[in-house]
Amino acid sequence: MSMSDIPIIQRVVAILWPSFIVAGIATVLFTTAFDPANISIFADYGISRLGSYTICFFLFWLFGAVTSTATCYFLKPCDAVNKRKSSGDSGSVKE
Amino acid sequence: MVESSQVVAKAVANKSDEEVEQSLYAKRQKIYVREVHGLFARLRAMGVLGLLGLFYIIPWLNLDGHQAVLFDLPARKFYILNMVFWPQDFFYLALLLIVSALTLFFVTALAGRVWCGYACPQTVWTEAFLWIERKVEGSRQQQMKLDKGANSFRKIRIKATKHFLWAAFALFTGLTFVGYFSPMRELAVNFLSFNTGPWETFWIYFYGFATYGNAGWLREQVCLYMCPYARFQSAMFDKDTMIISFDESRGLPKGPRKKSVDKVAAGLGDCIDCTICVQVCPTGIDIRNGLQYQCIGCAACIDACDDVMDKMGYDRGLIRYTTEHSLMGKHTHILRPRVIVYALILFGITVSAFYSILTRTPIAMDVIRDRNSLYRETNEGLIENVYIIKLLNMDKQDHSYTLTAAGIPDLILKKDTDKIVVKSGEVVELPVRVQVDAYDLKQRSSEISFTLTAIGNDDLSVVEEARFLGPAY
Repeated sequence: MSMSDIPIIQRVVAILWPSFIVAGIATVLFTTAFDPANISIFADYGISRLGSYTICFFLFWLFGAVTSTATCYFLKPCDAVNKRKSSGDSGSVKE
Repeated sequence: MVESSQVVAKAVANKSDEEVEQSLYAKRQKIYVREVHGLFARLRAMGVLGLLGLFYIIPWLNLDGHQAVLFDLPARKFYILNMVFWPQDFFYLALLLIVSALTLFFVTALAGRVWCGYACPQTVWTEAFLWIERKVEGSRQQQMKLDKGANSFRKIRIKATKHFLWAAFALFTGLTFVGYFSPMRELAVNFLSFNTGPWETFWIYFYGFATYGNAGWLREQVCLYMCPYARFQSAMFDKDTMIISFDESRGLPKGPRKKSVDKVAAGLGDCIDCTICVQVCPTGIDIRNGLQYQCIGCAACIDACDDVMDKMGYDRGLIRYTTEHSLMGKHTHILRPRVIVYALILFGITVSAFYSILTRTPIAMDVIRDRNSLYRETNEGLIENVYIIKLLNMDKQDHSYTLTAAGIPDLILKKDTDKIVVKSGEVVELPVRVQVDAYDLKQRSSEISFTLTAIGNDDLSVVEEARFLGPAY
């Protein structure tokens, strides 16, 4: 099995979906512990609580997606990296 | 349980590399779901109508002058019927989530994936979208014919109608969703006059778009690739769990035949290989290949097959709800250790969750030590620490409280007022000073406690610990 055996949709979902769930949980925990109305970056720009929650959620989602992307990137088997370099093709590499 | 990787591995073994490449990169084939009638289809329709009805109606209900269920994020208060939850009550909401998760485990161990087939929001909204699609585009055959045909005015008109209806329904869903977080009646009026706030507008469209995408386009792919429950539900399964299965001993060997043919003489089982069970499957699997993780337990294949068996004059239940033990001709145990353990844990946590919610004290007190100084010496030679007491009255009535402190002998509590009045739902910050004789201090940091008690109601009382700092002798 190499990574190329996984459908595109499953790969996209593997990055966007876990980060979405974690972002939801993180937003709930973070905004429960800290009231955005007391956080100066939000308060200074006059962003409402609803706006602050939204910004928190999307920031957390972005961080999570970056992490998931890096995880998927590093999951590529070592052989696949070698083969691509030696054969010079940019297509999928099979084991 | 067959894992997806094994399915792929099997497929790889059977086909040449090129074919595999083709099939894996091929665009997903749309699954055209054939309409089905029968007992389980009726049950699911009832589930869909009931749950969607609840979802769309609840935000419109009022109780005691406020929305009955409102997670008022801007005000940081959650109204659930006649209870009000504050961020300080987060623990109770976490408990309720644990209870929900345990209920799911318990039901799964007992009855398999009934959640997936009848109650999951993904199933419920997909059913609603499929219903709209059927009303606009017609039956499975008509839908396939329409999609294969060349672009014509008729095709574009039908497609546009479907997507308009989907979008409108999705947008209404988005509006209702936001109505759980921002008062519904106000929101609906603002929405109709294009006056919703920027963030509310964003979430209405975002949630609407997610509904449209998940129920209109992604459908079974959500179950296959996104659902964590689908992946780990097998951990709760055993041989006594209710599953949907094809009875191989009865069905095989399968094959088409005329109704008049004697199946025994022809050497055939009951399965006439009509593939209707495959056509009605929302995830596009063939239940005759055995239990698969893609199966959401919707029982559409049971209804479809029973119908065919009736027409053939055979007994119903070639595909049926059963258990692995029952299929092997053994006895099915409903009360078994797994079920009993899940039930006990569920019962214990549910009782303690409700007990703690019903007996919670509707006051929150935070004691914050003044960070600017460790301690100071007063003119009388006493050691003094300054604290800010933050009080939140979570009760529905206003209350007056008395504050006392203890922990060090002859401790003196200095505050501006003896009677602290806090209105319902309000926060009061109260600076207080605690003074002790340095002789009574045994170490640099001593523990003291503040006790807040409502006047006229001694049961309404909270204790909060704090540190008192001083010099050590």
